[in-house]
Amino acid sequence: MTSYGMLINTKKCVGCYACRMACQMANHLEPTESFISYHELEQGKYPNVYAEVVPVQCMHCEDAPCQSVCPTHATYTTEDGVVLVDENKCIGCKYCMAACPYGARIQIEKTGVIEKCRFCWDGQEVGNPPKCVGTCISGARVFGDLDDPESELSQEIARTNAQPIAGNLTKAKIYYVR
Amino acid sequence: MVWGSMIAWYLFLAGASAGAFLTAAFVEKKYPDATKMRVAGRIIAPVFLAVGLLMLMLDAEAGLQNPLRFFYLVMNPGSVMTLGVYFICIYMPVALAAAVLEILRRPVPAWLMWTGVVFAFGVAAYTGFLLGVVQAYPLWNNAILPVLFVVSALSAGLAATSLVGLLADRKTFEQMWLIKKSHVILSVIELVVLFTMLVIVSSGSPEGAASVQSLIAGQYAPAFWGGLVLLGLVAPFLIEGYPVFITKRVETSTTSLVVSIIGESGVLVGGFLLRLLVIFAALPVVFL
Amino acid sequence: MIDNLSRRTFLEGTAAVAVGGAAVASALAADEVMAWAAGEGDAAAASGTVRQAPSLCNGCSSKCGLVGTTVDGKLWTVEGAKDHPYSKGTICGRGHGVVQMAYNDERLTQPLKRAEDGTFAPISWDDACREIAEKVNAIIAESGPEALCLIHDPRPSGKYYGPRFLNALGSANVYTHGAACNASKESGITYAVGASNFSVDFGKAKMVMFIGRSYGDAIRPSSVQSLASAADAAKRIVVVDPRLSNSAIFATDWVPIKPGTDIALLMAMANVLIEEDLYDHDFVENYSIGFPEFAAQAVACTPEWAEEICEVPADTIRELAQAMAKAAPAAAVEPSWRAAFGCSYANSFDTARAVCAVNALLGSWGQEGGALLTSSPKAGDIDKTRFPSVPKPQAKRVGDAEYPLVLSGMGSNLAALQAALDGTMRGFFFYNSNAAQGYANPKVWREGLGKADLVVTIDVQMSETAVLSHYVLPECTYIERMELPEFIGGKKHYVGLRTPIIDRVHPDTRSCDEIFTQLAQACGVGEYFDFTLEELAAAQLESVGTTLEEVRTAGTVELADPGFAYGVPKFKTESGKFEFSNAKVGEAGLNPVIGYVPRLVEAQGDELYLIAGKQGIHSHTMTQNIASMNAISREYDLERLWMAAADAEARGIADGDLVEMTSSEATGQVRVRVTERMRPGVVFMPSHYGGTSPYQTRACGFGLNTMDFVPFRMEPGVGSAMSQEVAVTVRKVEA
Repeated sequence: MTSYGMLINTKKCVGCYACRMACQMANHLEPTESFISYHELEQGKYPNVYAEVVPVQCMHCEDAPCQSVCPTHATYTTEDGVVLVDENKCIGCKYCMAACPYGARIQIEKTGVIEKCRFCWDGQEVGNPPKCVGTCISGARVFGDLDDPESELSQEIARTNAQPIAGNLTKAKIYYVR
Repeated sequence: MVWGSMIAWYLFLAGASAGAFLTAAFVEKKYPDATKMRVAGRIIAPVFLAVGLLMLMLDAEAGLQNPLRFFYLVMNPGSVMTLGVYFICIYMPVALAAAVLEILRRPVPAWLMWTGVVFAFGVAAYTGFLLGVVQAYPLWNNAILPVLFVVSALSAGLAATSLVGLLADRKTFEQMWLIKKSHVILSVIELVVLFTMLVIVSSGSPEGAASVQSLIAGQYAPAFWGGLVLLGLVAPFLIEGYPVFITKRVETSTTSLVVSIIGESGVLVGGFLLRLLVIFAALPVVFL
Repeated sequence: MIDNLSRRTFLEGTAAVAVGGAAVASALAADEVMAWAAGEGDAAAASGTVRQAPSLCNGCSSKCGLVGTTVDGKLWTVEGAKDHPYSKGTICGRGHGVVQMAYNDERLTQPLKRAEDGTFAPISWDDACREIAEKVNAIIAESGPEALCLIHDPRPSGKYYGPRFLNALGSANVYTHGAACNASKESGITYAVGASNFSVDFGKAKMVMFIGRSYGDAIRPSSVQSLASAADAAKRIVVVDPRLSNSAIFATDWVPIKPGTDIALLMAMANVLIEEDLYDHDFVENYSIGFPEFAAQAVACTPEWAEEICEVPADTIRELAQAMAKAAPAAAVEPSWRAAFGCSYANSFDTARAVCAVNALLGSWGQEGGALLTSSPKAGDIDKTRFPSVPKPQAKRVGDAEYPLVLSGMGSNLAALQAALDGTMRGFFFYNSNAAQGYANPKVWREGLGKADLVVTIDVQMSETAVLSHYVLPECTYIERMELPEFIGGKKHYVGLRTPIIDRVHPDTRSCDEIFTQLAQACGVGEYFDFTLEELAAAQLESVGTTLEEVRTAGTVELADPGFAYGVPKFKTESGKFEFSNAKVGEAGLNPVIGYVPRLVEAQGDELYLIAGKQGIHSHTMTQNIASMNAISREYDLERLWMAAADAEARGIADGDLVEMTSSEATGQVRVRVTERMRPGVVFMPSHYGGTSPYQTRACGFGLNTMDFVPFRMEPGVGSAMSQEVAVTVRKVEA
């Protein structure tokens, strides 16, 4: 089986928004719409400060709360573990937005549909790599198959001991190095 | 903030609709002569829900653009929203049928009435569970919210129906002690349930505490204390409670009429504000 | 909704197109085509024709290679070109944003002429060029061609056409944006090593010190990648900066320094290297001149002395110098760009030289892991009969006498501004330059340009400079035009090319070469422009051993190996050696020897030093009005003034509060970002918010423009803007 996932290394992210911009263009989003949000954090007191930017997007949870609350089954998970929205079923009730603990869903202004990162799914397969990964200037993002222990993703997760962003809040498939 | 005032209206109107239907059933049993109030409750029930559903659909923009998509709403029985749709699918026709029968001055069969009663409770409770199962928001994600919404729904339905009774058939209305007592008791229960919920939410998580803080001392405090607590709960409690439990006499004065109208309206305003504030003040769990 | 069958058919239809353009750097992946279809969600998109074309980004001076993909002639995505040395397959946020300029609803679409009342009315190209030519010729007749100037931020075609046009008119007054960018730094480096820049051999370096510069904020992808790799390899990376920048994630050390005093730190490091005999004797004795004089000046620059000035603990300075010496020669101070000494302070020129001096003491010039001087390719000889040489203007460039040290390729555009204030510079051409908003205090530019008889701005949008112009000539965006080849130097040599990715969105916009050619013809010097861009590009490319066809399809082509080798380089200074001392610097009235120079402005009382810098998504004022980038700034409140938590507390300011900032020049209100990432006593302003052009509604009035607060002054010797010689007071605005 294939189970697509991602690694985001915040120790390499300079917060340049390239991922947002590339995603926005590829997915025909409006300038104010983004599948990726950014959390800028700082720890410590001057001069011993650690600053990081944490990009957050749909975690493609195995136990996706957005999917379980979706009344129309517009939200579904593919065989490859990609959580998607069938735009022809979504009524825009926003229940999924409320249910997502990561705030990863947005309403598309034009259609009213609730959307989110789809790993650049094109109707048949994911983008490989998705645009956010392809454009990342510092190599902070790695995309691949979590079920394949030989994949660059699995290797990198093992090497860096990357973890889901919020422990077991959900069974997230994006792993973070922080 | 995911939802706005449209959904608050929906939650309020759906709850008040259920409350009105239950009030009508109650009136029919206990005060068979209070026709006007019964009819009022029977008509309010489908009308409120219809308006509420309209709000819901206006808020669901993608569905609004493609109305046929609303049929997909029955697809996921695992979703509280779908369950709500099931309830509404039964409750709405029942409420509508009851209203039509009343208008046609035909008796509402007992089975229809009881079916309506059961599903009215279902509708009232579902509006609470709809939010209650959302784990991302501590203010919603607790067992008490559905209880609070049910109590508030009964109270609001009762108030809406009473308001009609008060204006259309005051003489009969002023004699309906059970209705008045229920009203006062519901206010007390709601007040207790509300603050119990706030205490529990506040102690459960920092985000919950922050949500409660914004209600009782933050940006929503004026609406919370002035609108929900004072106008929606304490004032009706005093206005209804004073004649019912203290003076124990039938009021006939114009002053008391005005005061009563204020009391009933206060319940309705408070019922709406409850939903609005619960939606607005909810803060998501911080996952970072 | 497209069913799978029609998607398949669509794919087959487009596959042929994709193959046709397959020579393009990254081959078109099938999934990209379908993503377009899926995203659009309507059948119309499914009939789309997909094409790819290479270009060079216009987001900043790096001009990274990229590939644009269009569907039905409309831009869909851009990707970094894999074989371009700067982009290496990726492109930053700015890159994705700047391409969208083509579809910007507020870009210029036709030539405009300003009326008496300040409003602009459309004018035809022919009329505009004719009227401009009349004024040009009148100015030449009355004041000579030296009363005309061109200020530009060079791009591949502009570098050739702009100066050629002005020189053809007989004027040598060609200026780049340099005086407001990196002129001090590049000039300083030139007077030490004979080249205007150097690079750090990151792959092999053991320790690198950054001064002010942040690869993570002023981005070139390849630089960020090399820094990330260095961090991965646990190299020691020191960041000297009053602000903990977005590059700090890669750093091992943060040295928060008092702004404008980096030179004291560097001189003290030199002092330690000399006093503790940690310097490279072989290099100093055999490959440098002026060391004894330098050492004599460095004697007084002890770490304790420096601590008083730059407020970095003496022990820290000593340890840094010792660690650098230990890592030497695989250690270097990075050359920076604009940052702290590109044009910032009265001592920026000398700070750049001091950087070079430390690297010289470390013996890192030309060594593995050290400071490298590499070469750059350029077009060879081309047929003079087809592309005739323009006679050298008689008069010297205005400003060169007062600021003789500035790099000849740059000049001081502020000297031109001064001449306008004096009434001697009467005609201004601006190309791809928003000088009036960013190069010095805007009120001074308004005054200067107000006195000029002719101001012409060539731009894609109605910039603040355009608003001050008599004529505004609309250029098409870079993805709508072809340009001359761009040559890229380094250990290896490359050439890149801009080719049109989309057709012109607005038919009445023109490319740089077309505009200057038509202006030249109107002014009567058309004989120097009697060729097409393609002919010139082809000739230039053939002169370096490739062809237009090859570069046009590949986008980036590697040229003949320049044969880079490690070892002490041949310094192209007059002495042929590294110069700790330079007579010409002395003749310009500066200390000929590399040594300490204080900053000009000292904060008094409760004043704070104002520093400024880039953000990853913006390139100065150019990107402010691009909807998608403006949206990021607004969503994340990026326009805020950064203030140290301690300073905020002392002033009763909380995060997000509105404050009033005041300098000798201006006062303005902006919200504050309270952070532990600032050195107390310093506030940081993201550069170039605060647009004032009413034609750019997203940028107009959003945030503050740093330059409004900076007095109009020029750095001795080089004529740079001294853009951070300013102190401000900040107070909370009570609601």
